[in-house]
Formats: sequence, structure tokens, C-alpha cells
Amino acid sequence: MPPLALLVPIGLPILGSLVAALLGRAGSGAARAAASVGLWSAAVAIVALWLPVRSTQELTLGQLGFGSGLDLRLDAMSLVFSLIVLVPAATLLSVQPRSWQESTVAALGVGAAVLAVEAGGVLLTAVAGCTAATLAVIQLDVEDVSAPRPSWALLLAAWLAVAWAGVVLQVQGGTAVYSAVPVSAMTLPVFALLGFAAIFSAGLFPWRGWASRLWARPSLRAAGMTVATLQPLGLYLLVRAYELGDGRYPNPNLNLLLAAWGVLVAFGAAARAQAATTRREYMAEVLPGLAGFALMSVAVGSALGLVAGLILTATVAVIAICLPLLPERAGPQPLLVAAAAAGLPPSLAFGGRLLGLGAAFEHGGAMGVIALAGVATWLLAAAAAARSVGLAAGPGRPAAETFPRVAAILGGLAVAAGPALGLAYYAGSTAASDVMSPPSGALGNGIASIVTVSTVIPVIALLGPLLVVGAIALAFARPVPSVGRSAARPPLFKLHGAILAARIAGEVRAMAVPSQYRSLFNPRALESAAAGGTPILWLASLVAIAFAVTR
Amino acid sequence: MEPELAVALPAAGAAFAAALRPRPRLALGLGALLGAGGMAAVVLSAPGAASNLLGVTLSLSAPSRSVLIVAAASLAFVVILAPQNAERSTLLRWGLAGLAGMAAIAVAPTPDISVLVLLVLVVLQATGPGRRPFVRRLRAPALAVALIGLGLLFARMPGPPSLARLGAVGLVAGLVAAIGALPYIHEFDPEEMTASSPIPWMAFVGPVFAVVVLTRARELLPSATGAFGAMLIGLGLLNIVWGCIASWRTELGAAAWRYSFIADWGLALCGFGLGVYEGQAGALLILYAILLGRLPLYLWSRQPLREKIQKDRPINLLVAAALAGSAPFAGFPARILLLRGATALYWPLALVLAATLLLWVPSSLRLGRTVGMPTGRQLLGIVIALGASAALGLYPQPFLSLAGL
Amino acid sequence: MTEVAAFAAWLGGAILVLADARRGLALGLAVMAAGLAGLAFAAGQDPTAGALLAGGVVGAVLRARSGPEGWGLMQPGSTPRIILTVLTALLALYVGASVATGDGAPLRFAVVVAIVLTAGRMLQGSERAAALTAASGLALALAAGATLAPSASFSAAIVAAVIAAGASILPAAEPRGA
Repeated sequence: MPPLALLVPIGLPILGSLVAALLGRAGSGAARAAASVGLWSAAVAIVALWLPVRSTQELTLGQLGFGSGLDLRLDAMSLVFSLIVLVPAATLLSVQPRSWQESTVAALGVGAAVLAVEAGGVLLTAVAGCTAATLAVIQLDVEDVSAPRPSWALLLAAWLAVAWAGVVLQVQGGTAVYSAVPVSAMTLPVFALLGFAAIFSAGLFPWRGWASRLWARPSLRAAGMTVATLQPLGLYLLVRAYELGDGRYPNPNLNLLLAAWGVLVAFGAAARAQAATTRREYMAEVLPGLAGFALMSVAVGSALGLVAGLILTATVAVIAICLPLLPERAGPQPLLVAAAAAGLPPSLAFGGRLLGLGAAFEHGGAMGVIALAGVATWLLAAAAAARSVGLAAGPGRPAAETFPRVAAILGGLAVAAGPALGLAYYAGSTAASDVMSPPSGALGNGIASIVTVSTVIPVIALLGPLLVVGAIALAFARPVPSVGRSAARPPLFKLHGAILAARIAGEVRAMAVPSQYRSLFNPRALESAAAGGTPILWLASLVAIAFAVTR
Repeated sequence: MEPELAVALPAAGAAFAAALRPRPRLALGLGALLGAGGMAAVVLSAPGAASNLLGVTLSLSAPSRSVLIVAAASLAFVVILAPQNAERSTLLRWGLAGLAGMAAIAVAPTPDISVLVLLVLVVLQATGPGRRPFVRRLRAPALAVALIGLGLLFARMPGPPSLARLGAVGLVAGLVAAIGALPYIHEFDPEEMTASSPIPWMAFVGPVFAVVVLTRARELLPSATGAFGAMLIGLGLLNIVWGCIASWRTELGAAAWRYSFIADWGLALCGFGLGVYEGQAGALLILYAILLGRLPLYLWSRQPLREKIQKDRPINLLVAAALAGSAPFAGFPARILLLRGATALYWPLALVLAATLLLWVPSSLRLGRTVGMPTGRQLLGIVIALGASAALGLYPQPFLSLAGL
Repeated sequence: MTEVAAFAAWLGGAILVLADARRGLALGLAVMAAGLAGLAFAAGQDPTAGALLAGGVVGAVLRARSGPEGWGLMQPGSTPRIILTVLTALLALYVGASVATGDGAPLRFAVVVAIVLTAGRMLQGSERAAALTAASGLALALAAGATLAPSASFSAAIVAAVIAAGASILPAAEPRGA
């Protein structure tokens, strides 16, 4: 396959969006279909590009003019992340009705995200990632301009930080191409920039960040697309940081810091989830919780942890499809999705968390303590998931955008995929070997078990029977009367601090300069002083500059 | 012959457009034809090739030529998709006069002639119709001419190194006064016609003038390069901070736009001050973005500003993204280049610069709302401006190659 | 002779600063042009000198025909302007003769003083004719400064002469309307 074919997975979503725009302007109802065809075909194309070769393919098309060339690279890691971005977006775009403007912007944003993942260097990732973030914000505005959305300034800051990191790599190491950066150039400041960018671009905060607030929107069409596009990009930065550092971060303490942050993110989400008063509030914390665990796993620093992080990121992608499709009413579908997200065995989330925490325990030392906190957080998340069954539905949504069967099928698949953890591990290992040394563990008996440093996990033998038991239990299950609002289970603990923090944040936002001091900042006064009347200010400036320069 | 035609044809176009004012369509057609001819001459001219048709050696450097081409494209764009209630022939007349002046500044064999041409433009602009009296419109740009003249004089005087530095002071202060940035800010009446306001200095004539002055300055003052760069960076940072904050907090929308131009110029001055390739390239991208993006958007915002229409539609957010320097628009690669230059030169400067880059966001959101709810020609114009900015942002190399970089 | 010419340039600038009516402005422009032309002539740049003189004289003649009537010299409130002319002369003398080295001190003095005084007149002025005359003077001063790098000083002088004459052609009264 000629290297130019690497442009296809990027070009198809863009082409889809252009066709969608043309069809939409012409009044055709096929705009959304065109955009979704673009995304699906990009997903197929990227797999078709990878499978015959199964090794890294590169394309260099010359300088773009801002210090980066149009360098594209398709390796296993970019394949995984591309699919993590493309498949949820394509599914949501195919299933949920939306206007042609939303479809166009969504497809463009996904194209930009794929470019960010396929980029061969940090600078191109920065440009593409910032484009994806900008388009995500615009998509949210197209849907509803007054509903909560991520702070555009923070997203911009994050991707500017990536750009700056790339610039520093170029200055210190001569290049910002992932595969060519010398290890000595990957310093603490560079990593700090990438870490900041990862956290802020993905919305991974222990407090209620945009990744949670998005789910309070009246419609969840754009929210699902935004999370599906932006959150993986943030984690992608941390994954590629391993490649920049030849398989490790510049300092082991950074792994601890990030892992601890990941657990804090997950704990914050779990704490808010268990205190949720409606099912919508609970749903808002599901993805941040999973993403927190993914972050923790990626940050462990071992190949096993990285693989676990990839598995959890893939789970995030699946759940990101399910959540916007769920109806507000109670039923088996939300239950199934909540179970899949909470990591009920034998789900993929269960396997991913198991591997991630196992990797952390294997690492030992402080990482082991973090893993203990992770276990506690997992238990809290599971309790929150159980409690969510009895919660009242949140604010209503248009029924036309809910597809409970699709959500249930995907949720069920996420649960049933647990016994295939070995296969997922194999795929993850292949990808992980692109950024760090292959895992010391291996697959035993084909894909039947996973061998780590400290243990052997018989995935099929362990999770297979659980799946069978679970299926039997589900088959014999009878629906129970829905719990009235007054009888909903109380939370394990109340978030007293959250109310106070929200009040303080509200007061800070409402702060304004007291009116008697506003005249201190008066552009018109400065303009009058400078440009009107006597040129004292001009002359004084001139003298000041001359003095400063000739001293 | 191309440099002579580059000046003469737009000048003739402006003159005919002025003479044929009672017949606007004829004025528009003839002016457009002559203007197009002038720009064809610019495009066809080889950068650096000298022409001696008038007994004076005229030549066009690559950076000046590139900015002239972009300015001409911007003028064509704005005239074809003229804002509501704006008369095309008037826009074209003023634009061609500016273009002729810019071409003359660019092709002039010595900086003295460039400054004299600037003085001509200053006087002609001040004598045109406007709300402010002639003497008030003349003050700041005339100060610019005087400062640059003094700067050239000091640069040529034999003597101690302090004279060279004073020359640098004159040139830098003069340049800043010419474009109307801090501290030599021009008086601004938001109700005034754009052609008579300070906007043409910072958004149309200023870019070419800056390129010419800065190119010549480095040749004239090789010993004062450090002082030169330091002044540009210092004034640049001042303009970034004040421009962004004032654009965000000032009460009037038109004034907010003016300050946004100042903020962009702050970035460009920093880029020029860095003295390295990346700084130059970044600064040029900012100037292109001003010409192709900010200026047309400002013109299209005038009518909604008068009608006090402010909207929060997606198109407004797209405009805000372009103005804030977000990818995929032109400001993002410009910022990358500036950060790279600053990091290579002195990393704390990069830190300061990076910190200021977010200041564009609140003001840009405000300015984005001021384009109102565009329809028809205005919408098409905004889409094209955004498209041009995106093209510049994603693939700036051809534009930089045009400038010889 | 160069000192006389330099003094004339200063005197012309001072008159330009202190005059508020057409005759005073014209006189100031003419004297300044004569001084600058004399210095260019002394520097061996005869064509440049001729162009400067021609431009200044034509500009002065045209100025004498438009603008406020009379001489308008030393009107009430001129004290700050007088101080400006004196201080400018002292500063220009210091820079041109003491700080800078080498020959050509009178020329340096004259150009500095001419630029500063004409610029000052434009900054302080409330009258259009005075501002236009100052613009003419500034053009001539810039062209005179170009003689320090004589490679294209003649073309600069031609341009300056055209500006000096042209500025005086422009109407001295404010047009009506915006």
C-alpha cells in the first residue's frame, strides 16, 4: 500500500463533513449519513491499512511551515487510538439524529482527532488536537449555546502547552518527531507541559470538571461526541510521552504523581457518583471514573500498566457510546451499562482494572499504596453503581435521541467481552511495544491466560464461568417495582465539601472589581492622555526608552 | 519596470476613482482594472530585481512583496464583499491610494524616501473627510515620521555607540507611532469612517511599513541589534498585555477591535524583536492574519456594532477562535514559531510569552459576538476570511516562501 | 557659511513654530529651506540643494497666499514655544557638535533642529495651515538629513520638494462634514 494511503483515514472524515455540508445546504436529509459514512469508512480504512503490514508505516510530505512537516505514522498504538476515537463517534453519528451543521462539525472534529493520533511529531499533534478541541466546543455550541461546555481557554491552554513542549524538544533535541527525539531532550519541563496538557485536555480532575458537567446538558448528542473525541487524546499524550522517553518518564516520581492523580480523579468521580441524587448525575461521573483508572494504569510505568490503560481507554470509548443513548427511565439497559462501567465481573472494565491495579501492586513501594487506594475507589464506584439503580431519572431528554437497545447491546458486549481479555491483552501488548519494551509477561495457552511477573490470570477459566452464571441469572431475573424517590438509598457519605466548594467557586466567578476602583483601569483615559492634548506621555515614553537603551 | 508600475497603476486607479466620484460604477471598474494591473506588476516582479526606468533604482524585497500581495488580496476581498452600507468605490479609492503608497514605500531605494512617502500618506489621510479635525488626525502619524527621521539621522551620525542606540530608539518609537501602538496610541473615534481612522495605519499600511523599516534598520544599525530587539520585545509585551485586557474590558465594541489590533501588533513586534528566523516568520504570519482576517472581520462588524447586535451563534465562536489564535487558524502556527524563537533565544521570555497567549481568549469571545448574525454577502465574506485563515494556519509554508523565508 | 546656513535653518524653524498666520509661516518655511539648501550646497550636493530651495520657496509662496491673514508672530501664549525653540537649539547643538564626531556638525545641528521644531509645531498646533507648513518643513528636513548618506539624496530632495509644494496647495481651511 503506498504511504500516501495514510492520508485516507484523515481525509475520509473531512470528505464526509464536506459532503454533509453540501447536502445539508441543499436541504437533503442525508447529511448525517454522509458524515457517518465518512467516519465508518475511515475506521475500515485504517484497519485495512494496518492488517496487511502489521508494522509501522510512515509518510513524510514536506514542511508545513511552522517547524513541522506533514509527517504521518501508523503504528499499532495509533491504530488503537484511532479506532477508540472513530468507532464511538461513527456509532453516535449513525444512530442519533442531529442537524447537518452538527454532523459537519462533528466529522471535522473527528478528522482532526485522527490526524492528532496519526501525526508523527508533537507539533502536528498539537495543531490537530487544538483543532479537534475547538471544533468540539463549536459542536457543543451548535447544539445549545447556553448549556455547560468545557472552558475553551483551558482547552486552548492545554494544546498550546503541547505545542510548547514540541518546540522545546526541537530546540533541545533538534526534532519533535516521536521516533527521533533523543532521550536527553525529554526533560522534566517538557513532561510537565505534556502532563498539564493531558489532564486539562481530557478534563481529568478530582473535582467536578467539564467531563462531568457536560452530562448536565439538556441534550447529550454533542456531549457524547466530545468526550469520545477529546478524552482519548489526553491519554494519548501520556502514552506517547513514553516513546519520547524511550519507555519511561523522565523521573519515577512523575509516575507516582500521575498515578496518584488518576486515583484521585477516580475517587472524586466515585464520591460524587455515590452522592448523586438522580441517574443523570450518576452517569456524569461514570466516564471520569473510568478515565481516572485508565490514567492510573498508564502512569504505573510498566508495560502491563500501559496495556491495562489501553484496555480501560477502549472501555471508556464503548461506555461513551452507551451513555448518550440511554433513556432517562429505569430499566435493564442503564443497569447493564452501569455494571459494565463499574467493572462488574466479567466485564472488560473489570479485567482492565484488575490488570492495572495488579501492575501497580507489582511495581511495589508507593505505587502499591496508590493501588490500595485504587481498590478502595473501585469498591466505592461499585457501591455507587448499585445505588444508581434506585435513583430517580434526571431531567428529561428527547426520546428520539435515545436508543436503549443499542446501549444495552454495547453494554452487554462490554460485560461479555471479559473472557476475551487475553485477546485484548494481546492487542494492547502489540500497541504498547511501540512505546516501551514489550511486557515481560506473556500469553499462556494462547489467549487463555495472562502471565505477569507475579501471577497468572486464567482469564477464560476465571471469567468464562462468571459470564455463564451472570447470563443465567439475567435470564431468570424478574423486574422489581421501581423504587419511589423517597425510598432511594441514602449515599454512603455526603459531600459537604462539594457544596462549600461550589459556593466558593460561584462567589469567585461573581467577583468583580469594586466600582470605585474600576476607574483605575480605564483605556479611554489612557488614550486621552496619550493621544489628546499635550504629548507629555509620548515624550516621557521616548525619554524612558532612550534612557533604558543607552544606560 | 514592474516596481514603477506597482506604484503608478494603483495611484492612477485611486486618482481616477476620485475623479469619477459622481459615477461610482465607472470609478469602481476603472479603479479595479488599474489596481489589478498594479498588483499583477507586483506579482510578476522578481524579488530584489532592480529597475531604473525613472533614473532611480527601485526594487521590491521578498518580504515586502509578499505583504503587498496579501494586502492587495485583502483589499480585493473587502471591496468585492463590501460590508453593508459601505460604498465599494469609496473603499476602492482609499484602498488603492494606500496600496500605491505602500508600494512606493516598499520600492523606495532609501529609507528616507520611504519615510517621505509615509509623510505623504499621513497628510493625505488627514486631509480626507473625517470627524476629527485635521491637526488631531495628523499628530500621531506625523510624530512617527519625525521620530523615524531622527532615528535615521542618528544612525548615520559618526560617534559613540550611544548614537546608534538613539537611532534604534528613533526607528522603533517611530514604527510604533506609525502603527498606533502603545505608548504612541492614536486618537480613536469609534464613529469615524474607517479610512480616516487609525485602523488603516495598523491594519493596512502598517504591515508593509514595518517590514520595510525593520529590514533597513538592521542594515543601518548592525551594532545596535541587541538594543533594537530588546525595545521591540519590550514594547511588544506591553502591547500584548494592554491590548488584550483593554480589548476585553473597554466599553465600546469598535474600541475593542482597535485594541485587538494593538495586541496582535504586540505579538508581531515580539517576533521581529527576536531576530531569529522563527521570530520573523511568526511575525509575518501575524501580519498576514491581520490583513486577511482581522481587518475584513472588523469591517464586517461595523454595521452590527452600530445596530448593537451581538450574537452567540457558532459562527461567532468560529470568528472568536480565529481571532484568538486557536488552531487551525493562522494565529496558532504563528505562536508556535514565536515560542520556538523565544525558547531558543531565552527561555524565560518564552515563559512570559506563553503566559500572555491566553489573554486573547476573553477579548476574542467578545469580538466574535460583534459580527452579529451575518447573512448573505457578509456571511460569505466571513466564511472566506476564516477559510483563508485556516489555510494560512494549516499550511503557511507557501506564504512564508513568498516572503523569502 | 555653513554655520550661517545652520543658524538660518534654526531661525526658519523657530519662525515656523512662533507664527500663526500665512506670512509668518511662509517666511519660516522659506528661511528654513534656504538654510537647509545652503548646507546641502556646502556639502557639495548642488542638485539636492537646488531641489530643497525650489521646494521651500514654492511652498512658501503658495503658503503666503492661503491661510489666516497676517504674520501672526509671537502671539500671546508663545512663551512655551520660545522655550521650545531655545531648548531644541541647545539640544541639537549638543548632539550634533559634541556627541557626534567628525565633520558636518552644522548639517547635523540643522537637521535635528528642523525635524524637532516642525514636529513640535504639528504636535502643538491647532491651526491647519500651520500644520501643513510644518509638514512641508519636515519633508525638507528629512531630505536634508538624507545628504548624510548621499547615495540617493537627490531623489529624496525631489520628493521632499514636491511634498513641500503640495502641502501648501492643500486647502488651509477645514472641509465641512465628515
